[in-house]
Amino acid sequence: MSELAIRRGAAPALAVEGLSYSYPRAAAPALADVSLEVAPGEFVLLAGRSASGKSTLLRAACGLVPHFHGGEIEGRVTVAGMDAVEAGPGELATAVGYVAQDPETQVVSTTVAAEIELPLEMRGDGPGDRARAVEEVALALAIPHLLGRAVDTLSGGELQRVALAAALVTRPRLVLLDEPTSQLDPVSGDELIWLLRRLNEEWGVAVVLAEHRLERCLAAADRVVAVAAGRIGFDGEPREFLGWTRKVDPTLTTPAARLFSLAGVEPLPVGVRDARRTLEGQVGVVAEPSVTPVPHLGKAPGAEVRPPSRFPGLRKSRNDPVALRAEGLWVELDDGNGPRDVIRGVDLAVAPGERVALMGRNGAGKSTLLRVAAGLIDPVAGRVAAERMALLTQNPSDYLVRERVGDELPGEPGLAALRAVGLERAIDADPRDLSGGERQRLALAIALAGRLDGDGVPGLVALDEPTRGMDRGRKDDLVALAERLADQGAAVLITTHDVEFAAEFAERVVLLGDGVVIADGPSAEILSGGWYFATEVARVLDLPGVVTPEHGAALLAGGPA
Amino acid sequence: MRTALAYIPRRGPLQSARPGAAVAYLAALVVVAFLYSNPLVLVATGIAACLAGRLAGATKAVRASLRLGLALAFLIVVVEAVVVAGGQTVLLRSGDLPIVGEIDVTLEAIVAGAVIGLRALVTIVAFGVYSACVDPDRVTRALRPLAARSALTATLVARLVPVTAADAGRLRDAAQLRGPGAAPVGKGPLARRLLAGSLDRAVDVAATLELRGYSLGAPRGAQRREPSRYDARFYAVAAVVSAVAIVGKALGADDFHAYPTISLGLGPGTLAVTAVVLASGLAPWRGRGRQGARRRPVARREGGLARV
Repeated sequence: MSELAIRRGAAPALAVEGLSYSYPRAAAPALADVSLEVAPGEFVLLAGRSASGKSTLLRAACGLVPHFHGGEIEGRVTVAGMDAVEAGPGELATAVGYVAQDPETQVVSTTVAAEIELPLEMRGDGPGDRARAVEEVALALAIPHLLGRAVDTLSGGELQRVALAAALVTRPRLVLLDEPTSQLDPVSGDELIWLLRRLNEEWGVAVVLAEHRLERCLAAADRVVAVAAGRIGFDGEPREFLGWTRKVDPTLTTPAARLFSLAGVEPLPVGVRDARRTLEGQVGVVAEPSVTPVPHLGKAPGAEVRPPSRFPGLRKSRNDPVALRAEGLWVELDDGNGPRDVIRGVDLAVAPGERVALMGRNGAGKSTLLRVAAGLIDPVAGRVAAERMALLTQNPSDYLVRERVGDELPGEPGLAALRAVGLERAIDADPRDLSGGERQRLALAIALAGRLDGDGVPGLVALDEPTRGMDRGRKDDLVALAERLADQGAAVLITTHDVEFAAEFAERVVLLGDGVVIADGPSAEILSGGWYFATEVARVLDLPGVVTPEHGAALLAGGPA
Repeated sequence: MRTALAYIPRRGPLQSARPGAAVAYLAALVVVAFLYSNPLVLVATGIAACLAGRLAGATKAVRASLRLGLALAFLIVVVEAVVVAGGQTVLLRSGDLPIVGEIDVTLEAIVAGAVIGLRALVTIVAFGVYSACVDPDRVTRALRPLAARSALTATLVARLVPVTAADAGRLRDAAQLRGPGAAPVGKGPLARRLLAGSLDRAVDVAATLELRGYSLGAPRGAQRREPSRYDARFYAVAAVVSAVAIVGKALGADDFHAYPTISLGLGPGTLAVTAVVLASGLAPWRGRGRQGARRRPVARREGGLARV
């Protein structure tokens, strides 16, 4: 089929007919009789719980399934007129850009510029064309400052953006993205969605995007396809999808839709603008863009709103018990272009039993702060002290080196750690047989082992970006675990880009910017006072202190303040 | 954090040379190590490899390779001494041991083991210098015409070390973060986990390479050509070293026997090969005079305006 015919819309960008697929030695098929068609220029959102088959469907569309994974496949997958099963990923690369979940497995070059340029070079583009395309995609993804960096010096979020740039630089006809915002800060995540929309509208690029954080992209999508247990559970418009989630799977709904459901407001909104228009017409509680002080929930009407406090942790005197204390902390790292200050004079104190979310844009220094506290990096100035700290890094599987859970955690200290994370029943299991969430808890138990105070907990439990790839059910489990640890007296410090998760989990949010603490206060204050680091409910209602659907619904049910 | 073997871009001759030239140069040293058994030649080859790495700025990689190579060489010496009963100079007689019987440790077996260990050491140091000085991106591109249909082969050749190095850093951090009550991670389990994980990751990287279009046949004109003024130097040194080594071997310059008694020849041929191999270690030397000249600003007239 000619390229012109494809561009005119004669052929779908992606056509899947009766696709069933099983991974080698898998007990159940990952996909079962899936049929789907994506038109050129269509923006499709793939929704579904963890392990529902979204990633497998994307891999089938770019040829990795079955070419790299093996297994048994039935049915037909056609991409821009090419049979994906026959062609394989190499030939499909002319038409498809694919971004997988884990950015570390998607980087094949030494420097950022070389990584982005590689697909163009493979295609045979000349040096001038390559230079221009690299520059443009770097500008679009806000990474021109990274072009000269070595890839092994990038943070997870920076790597994610580089992988995206390499997938988009050839302007493919079909872009497949598997949770591309999971490691991006809210600013970069929103910008990516709008960049995709722009590519989609201006260049007719078809986009298939698998995401858990649907509130970020639902408004940009033309259509939603929900996958459940390897089958298509729903295929329709975003607003219809929200109605479907209410009846079939409420864990897939968005915070704004949940707010409306709880408050009994119709129709369910697909985005912030939609929600605000509905509320302005029906309820009239939405604040004007210039925020006027509105009483916090539970406060008497007319009571003055306290401005967000700065550095509440530092109000603790030196005699107060603290699980983490950093004073005048400076950290320098070499990113390949010479030493650079990554943490710049940070003062921070976290008390036992506190639940703190550490947020900030990619490369702000969040992970570095945790690594310094854990003793993996030495500061160049200042002091940091953490009491019996257990740190879980971004890759829990790095902690798992043996083939039996009990061998990782022997004796009574090991059993106590397994009990602390609720995994004592899995003592004889092979870690590879555990689910993703269970593996994460096992890794946490390994970090906790021997640091438990009797049946108590360590002074500080820190988790670095633990929610990537998690659906809402697994995030709720993590929130419950964090609350249990905090109730037992541990300070729990979690770095995250997920503002909705932070609103559920944290009582305090510390916002880092370029190695400096730029905001520190109660989560309801911090997550309701900005454009990007704000929950969807906060952006809909624009009321200080209202960040969760439950709070918002209570306010809506009570009428205008 | 980077591991010692990770590639770091530098402006040295070895880094600037095309991968083929750099590989030919380092491979010539490995060829000498495998052709010769004479300890003098082998020691000279090892010194040349270390010197090349030092001059190329890869001192950390040389040190790390030496540590690994010496550990492996020691292991080889122990195994050779225990397993091989040849040699007339008995240093230690174990008496009758269960299962293995009597073991004689001879000077000849120790020296023979040291020769094999030296070969391993030279190979590891040469590989360490390659890993730290030869850009894997350029290797990947250079392999494309040869292995366009196999991204996995290209990945294993060009990217396994960087991928393994990155994984090793993360695994080391995770091992350090284990609680005191968790089972300690020895080098064995860590190495097994690293190997298994790195092969998995290499497959992932190969998949990405495929997705970037590695197997597409790009037009010949679009292939990137990055010649270097140092290419000829390294090709020439590789050719001279290989030729001298082969001719020397044919003429009996490798005059050494470990068994039944040690016999070490130090004739003019052996000394000549040793000298040539030693001198080859200077190939990555950059020189000093030209650097100063390059820094001097050059005034140029364009359209009546002098630009500096």
